[in-house]
Amino acid sequence: MNKKIESIILGIMCLILTYGISVQIKTVNSINSNLSTNAIENDLRDQILKTKEKYDNIFSSMEKEQEMIEKEREKATNNNQELEDYEKQIKEKSKMLGLTEITGPGVIVTLKDSTNANSSLDISSQLVHDFDVLSVVNELKNAGAEAISINDNRIVSTTSILCSGNVIEVNNQKVGTPFEIKAIGLPEQLAALSRPGGYLSKLEQYGIETELEKNNNITIPKYAGALNFKYAQTIK
Amino acid sequence: MIFIAIIIGCVAGVILGINAPTISYTYSSFLAIGILAALDSVFGGISSILNKNFDLKIFISGFFCNAILSMLLTYLGQKLNVDIYLAAIFVFVSRMFLNLTIIRKYYIEKWSENIKKRKENKQQNTQTN
Repeated sequence: MNKKIESIILGIMCLILTYGISVQIKTVNSINSNLSTNAIENDLRDQILKTKEKYDNIFSSMEKEQEMIEKEREKATNNNQELEDYEKQIKEKSKMLGLTEITGPGVIVTLKDSTNANSSLDISSQLVHDFDVLSVVNELKNAGAEAISINDNRIVSTTSILCSGNVIEVNNQKVGTPFEIKAIGLPEQLAALSRPGGYLSKLEQYGIETELEKNNNITIPKYAGALNFKYAQTIK
Repeated sequence: MIFIAIIIGCVAGVILGINAPTISYTYSSFLAIGILAALDSVFGGISSILNKNFDLKIFISGFFCNAILSMLLTYLGQKLNVDIYLAAIFVFVSRMFLNLTIIRKYYIEKWSENIKKRKENKQQNTQTN
């Protein structure tokens, strides 16, 4: 009797010990970094992970809701000519606003930090800055680009391009080098960006690696956010 | 009986642990310290079995109290910004080594005694022959 209890207790203790060890190994492996006991750093890392998870959840639920809205709209406008016209108008306007994924001919511009470490040029000028990206986007717009995205972040009317340390922020999303700027429009016109004396040739002088590629089939994703107008009101 | 219980416990623990969700990174340092304390008391238990003064109550209380106390100390260290967990690791690991020494000595002595006995047996055999 006594031996039975003893062995059960020892078994439970072994269970707890091996359980703890395997959970610990799993945790350390999943984080894939050295174990540090710096509480503040760990807390911050935790918070970031949690916030990111929350964001992802909310984003996916938003996408689901949007799909539902579209389905409902289609159902409602199925047998009505007038409403179908409105539906077409909505689609056309949301395309202009950047709320739909679109495809078409255009160019892909790639900007990459200089990899030439021996250059005598200033290090800062060898990096791609926010104003470089902004200028390229500006020139593309001037050349008649209908839709532009930076690393799959759609440029819409409320988009800002900011410096944020060693990365830049587009639509409040951090974007790092290399920057892939896609633009839909007439490829021949858009390709004028690489003309002598243009902005790309200026960047190349500083050692930044640029590349301009014409493509007949570019897909630009929709704007990953919501356009909310709180203060602006239409004049009747 | 005891060995079967230990093996079942180990296997069940590994299976449960693999299927369990990972804990928060903040608490993994506490768990690591707790594991060290538990391992230390396991080695202590083995060496006390060899010394024939093993007491289950002392073993169990040591197993849990050491783990909890070391976690509390780690927590206190984090609050005071002193790395107290280093002291706990030092104590536990040094005690582990001491216990390992006792276990090693016990088995080496047993082994050398066995060899001696065999030699004596052989000599006796040859004398009687």
